[in-house]
Amino acid sequence: MIQLHNVFLTYHKEQTALDGVNLRIPKGDFVFLTGPSGAGKSTLLKLFYAALRPTRGQVVIDGKNVNRLPEGQIPYLRRMVGVVFQDFKLLPNRTVQENVAITLEVLGWGQKDIGKRVYHTLKQMGLEHKMNSTPLRLSGGEQQRVALARALVNEPRILLADEPTGNLDDANKEQILNLLKEANIRGTTVVVATHDRRLIDTSHRRVIVLDKGQIVEDSHGQE
Amino acid sequence: MAKSKPANKYAAAKRPTLSDERKFGRLGYFVGRAVTNIRQNVLINVLTVVTITFAILLVSLFLLVYVNLQGAVDTFSEKVQVTAYFDNELTPAEFAALKDRIVGLSGVDRVSYVSKDDAMRRFRDRLEGQESILEGVPSEVLPSSIEITLKRSQRSSAAVEAFVKRLKTVSGIGEVQYGEEWLRRFSTFMDFMRITGIVLGGFILLAVVFIVSNTIKLTIFARKDELEVLSLVGATRLFIKIPFMIEGVLQGATGSALALAILGGCYLVFLRNAGNFLSLNPVTAGITFLPVEYLGGLFCGGVLLGFFGSLVSLKRFVSTDS
Repeated sequence: MIQLHNVFLTYHKEQTALDGVNLRIPKGDFVFLTGPSGAGKSTLLKLFYAALRPTRGQVVIDGKNVNRLPEGQIPYLRRMVGVVFQDFKLLPNRTVQENVAITLEVLGWGQKDIGKRVYHTLKQMGLEHKMNSTPLRLSGGEQQRVALARALVNEPRILLADEPTGNLDDANKEQILNLLKEANIRGTTVVVATHDRRLIDTSHRRVIVLDKGQIVEDSHGQE
Repeated sequence: MAKSKPANKYAAAKRPTLSDERKFGRLGYFVGRAVTNIRQNVLINVLTVVTITFAILLVSLFLLVYVNLQGAVDTFSEKVQVTAYFDNELTPAEFAALKDRIVGLSGVDRVSYVSKDDAMRRFRDRLEGQESILEGVPSEVLPSSIEITLKRSQRSSAAVEAFVKRLKTVSGIGEVQYGEEWLRRFSTFMDFMRITGIVLGGFILLAVVFIVSNTIKLTIFARKDELEVLSLVGATRLFIKIPFMIEGVLQGATGSALALAILGGCYLVFLRNAGNFLSLNPVTAGITFLPVEYLGGLFCGGVLLGFFGSLVSLKRFVSTDS
């Protein structure tokens, strides 16, 4: 599903963000990326949804070589990759339903089908009663669940989460983790970049530790 | 590792209806999206429309003044006339032949014959109150002549001089008068008007394009999160841009329509009240509103301003790097 061969990435010709990374994440896997700030976690995630391209090496996502992917094909790659951020990136002037519907509008779905699918996804997230609220009226946990719904509504093959629990309390962290696990059970490959050691320890999943742009540990947890 | 993959409820479900299979297809979606965007970003849209309104109002006001000044200059330029005197007095047949030859010269609008009697009548009219001076003076002392009015495009000093050279080659034509000094001053004034119009109009146009494009750039910058989210969920550049460009067109159309309506209103108010503060009657003074083609041009200009303002601004903010 995700393969990196000897990947280097340098910012401004000096600052090395990734330093010879080799990595293979099979289909259906659930992986934590961890490491200190500046280790290269977010950079790695950006490579996975083609917001960045490597300076050297190969990045293959679901059989597509990101290095050779024409600019016009990037949107099509992103349609099979859902992304969630610590700051949610929700549109404050749109309702919860409209925020989630964006993903399906981009795919060209009709409004009737969008309505049904969005309702179903929000129900999975326990947010069907908040459909007509705007994000600013929701708690942090609820906002993250909306962001998760937007990322998962089209059943993507890969879900990337960059510090998804960074702004949440323990109860909400657990809820988000469970939703990520459910998405994984439904067949989505999940990659979570996090600092949260407790989240990693309680999950018993594969953990990749990055430091100074290199993988220093890759341990397969057992649930 | 979770390897099990349960049946995906939607994978087996009926294929969803796509928006381009619906009435008006994707265009319907894009227009709907643009209208919804306007509704959800009222303040930003009002700001853009007001900016476009003021911009088009400024340009149209300048054009209104310019068109009326140009009209006044054109009316005044009717006074540019060439008077030709004959070597000998002509018979009606000779005059007819000469007139045909003059009319055949390029640049001639119309030709009129001034007989000795006509010349004496005009002279007498000019001496209003002192006509007694001419008592006993026969009309034969004044020569008959031909007055040539040139076409509007041929009334500059250089064009008249060139015409006079051509006229002097016509046999039977003696002295030619055309008020060289007056004409030179008039031509200088016309050139000044033209250059001032172009420079001032150019500055106004540049300022308008600068202000409107920057306003649109700011409004799009204010919505950069929306552009980023759309890019993240896999929207193509065109999908992101089209609703914004439709918004730009709607803003441009609304702004320019408002500007022209305000200009029309101000013009009517001016017509009704000009007599109170000006010593002229605007109707008899020949003050006119902008011609329809100018109004159409201004409206289209506003629409294009909205469209290209959005297009250029989006180019900067829409990329695949998120």
